[in-house]
Amino acid sequence: MTPPVATIDPEKILRDLRDLWAQLAKDQGSAGGVLRACSMTLIAVAEHDDAADAESARKSIGALMHGHPSRAIVLTPQQDGEFSGRVFAECWMPFGGQRQICSEGIEITADYEQTDEVARLLVPLIAPDLPVVLWCRGPRAFLDRSLDPLFPLANKIIFNTRAVRHPNSAIEFLRRMRKDGRQVADLAWTRLTGWREAVAHLMDACPGGWTAVSGGTVRIEYGGPRPGTRSLYFARWVERALPGMNVTLAPVGGAAGMHAVVFTGGEREVSIRLGDARSLEVRSGESRYSAVLAPDSEECLMHEELSILGRDPVFDRVLT
Amino acid sequence: MNDSNPFADPLRFERQVPECAIVIFGANGDLTKRKLIPALYRLAYERRLPATVSILGTSRTPLSDEEFRGKMHDSVKEFLEDSPFDEDQWTGFAKNVNYIAGDLSDPNLYSALKDKVTALGKTNVLYYLSTQPSYYGEVVERLGAAGLGRTTADGWQRIVVEKPFGHDLESARALNERIHAVFAEADIYRIDHYLGKETVQNILAFRFGNGIFEPLWNRRYVNHVQITAAESIGVEGRGAYYQEAGAVRDMIQNHLLQVMATVAMEPSAVYEPDAVRDERAKLLRSIRIMRPEEVPLYSVAGQYAGFRHEPGVEPSSQAPTYAAATFYIDNWRWAGVPFYIRSGKKLPKRTTEIAIQFNVAPHALFTPDAGGVTMRPNLLILRIQPEEGISLRFLSKQPGSGMRLRPVSMDFNYGSSFGERSPTAYETLLEDALTGDATLYTRQDMVEASWRVVTPILEDWASRKFEYPNYDPGTWGPTAADEMLARQGHQWRNS
Repeated sequence: MTPPVATIDPEKILRDLRDLWAQLAKDQGSAGGVLRACSMTLIAVAEHDDAADAESARKSIGALMHGHPSRAIVLTPQQDGEFSGRVFAECWMPFGGQRQICSEGIEITADYEQTDEVARLLVPLIAPDLPVVLWCRGPRAFLDRSLDPLFPLANKIIFNTRAVRHPNSAIEFLRRMRKDGRQVADLAWTRLTGWREAVAHLMDACPGGWTAVSGGTVRIEYGGPRPGTRSLYFARWVERALPGMNVTLAPVGGAAGMHAVVFTGGEREVSIRLGDARSLEVRSGESRYSAVLAPDSEECLMHEELSILGRDPVFDRVLT
Repeated sequence: MNDSNPFADPLRFERQVPECAIVIFGANGDLTKRKLIPALYRLAYERRLPATVSILGTSRTPLSDEEFRGKMHDSVKEFLEDSPFDEDQWTGFAKNVNYIAGDLSDPNLYSALKDKVTALGKTNVLYYLSTQPSYYGEVVERLGAAGLGRTTADGWQRIVVEKPFGHDLESARALNERIHAVFAEADIYRIDHYLGKETVQNILAFRFGNGIFEPLWNRRYVNHVQITAAESIGVEGRGAYYQEAGAVRDMIQNHLLQVMATVAMEPSAVYEPDAVRDERAKLLRSIRIMRPEEVPLYSVAGQYAGFRHEPGVEPSSQAPTYAAATFYIDNWRWAGVPFYIRSGKKLPKRTTEIAIQFNVAPHALFTPDAGGVTMRPNLLILRIQPEEGISLRFLSKQPGSGMRLRPVSMDFNYGSSFGERSPTAYETLLEDALTGDATLYTRQDMVEASWRVVTPILEDWASRKFEYPNYDPGTWGPTAADEMLARQGHQWRNS
């Protein structure tokens, strides 16, 4: 039997939020006031017993608020942790603006064996009638079922398989989630956008386009002991886009991650290789150029995912 | 992105502007420095332009590349909207900015442009006419004579034409013929920057992305519509231009009729350039053309006190700095619903908005109470600028005993729901032209339809002598405009 837990009162948290807004308005009264902004509820689940991860989540949310103002809930599960909650606001002045825009947040610490209770607690704290995004920051969701009670709360669940030990199992887990009707995302897939965009543009620009390499081979070169989820996703994406392609994953040593993609079809070879951390070197026949990659920061990746609140048909196809 | 590309992912990839050159005629003018170069810089800043896009400015003023870049540097710093200036970014951007001085009537200018574009290795070229409108036809003809302007298998050649597109229906048709002699219709981008504004585009999202408004969007529920574009400033150094154009040509024939078309058009079957433009064009063609005797009843001209003392303005100028008109749309959806449109300078505040007033409730259930109201029409306001957003006014019970009602407003503010900066209209429209998306550009049939609508007003006003000035700066225009609405039992929303 689960021992009783000292819980927190959602009503009190909501009252604290009201007081916070009253105080913000008072503080800014003569300076144009504040604009309360909220377009979703974003629940970020920090790694268990990891205060630094919770702090990092809070920082990322602060940066994300500008583009995706939300009611943010940062949840830190702790072993034998007592329930506690406090409210905060993230405010910013738009460039050239005269009125501060503020978004509200709630930090909750809870025992990680009590996620059922946490899920019940979160229901009244969710901003009504707006999308709910659950952000599972670490690999915990793939290790045990402790986060499962939170999943039904969300319209979209964002995972990060970058650090998982068993990439195939993690992808299988996401596949099952999707099959169960959940909308899922993976920041490892998001990290591929720059690569995929380079491929798509290359196929548009090169003579003959994608048909020139259709039916040929694609070699995905990766570093590290085994292909990570990124390489696996990429392979699946190519197979889905051009079903006739022979896709192979080739280890090349070096740091873990995807290093290059080489398309070969007939006489033609086009390649995309990681240059420095911020760019890709693209070669197609005599033509060579660099494609700049977007920053690989958590904020940039989340920004991209939060911009897609509906179905993501391409990722869905990759998971199918 | 090619639609058939199996690697396309439109949810995540930006459309990619292809390698190209942008040739700006009138590069030393106001539009270039205030809008075009800042917009192109911002597109480059956001990596929505390839790093190697070439910008080639031309005007009569002798300037070196370096001098032109210096001028544009200062302009971008001054006129960049809602965005900080990044010196390093500018340095990279400016490397591809060049300048050629020349007379628009001189064939050598076009040979030099052709040579430069060839030397830059660009086969896709976007020409931007930012000159005096009287030069449009000649520039296009000279481009054609120089062998430029025709899209081929090697690359496209497009042209952006700034407003005004003609100064009346005949001149618009004539200009169109001259442009068509060189450019195909698909390569002509007639710009109306109002259509590039995020909030104008949002009208379509609001109407056709939601299920609850469209059923009310017709003559059964809408009492009337007011479209206001008010400026608190005067002509600000543009007296000579404004004296020729006046408020109808400057605002109503283009911007406000396009906004009206967006508010009133039927949904298109798909969101594709010609499908959307077909519906806009259909709506514009449905606007009832005033008979000459109706013009004094359904339109009001105004001029603010002091306009005739502005630089470049004649002391007896008859140019209207204010114009208001009542339009009717002769179709099933809108038959009998007045659309009131007004635009003016030196009005009490700067605002552009669309106010849709619904019919009042059919029966007054609540009796008047001291200080309360019983019946008040619901009002939906679509705010284009400033404070972009949407608000809905409805009645609510005042707290306390009794049933006293009070109007309240439910507000959606663009800034509070999307904290991000919105692209400026010119960023949107330039990117669209570079990627070949003409959805937000006007077509010749739309231009002609809107000229047809305003022609009776222009002709009537040209034949009359008005007792100007007829409104004071800081007021909402001539009293005749209020009377025009009062005759229908309506009043302007002056707030």
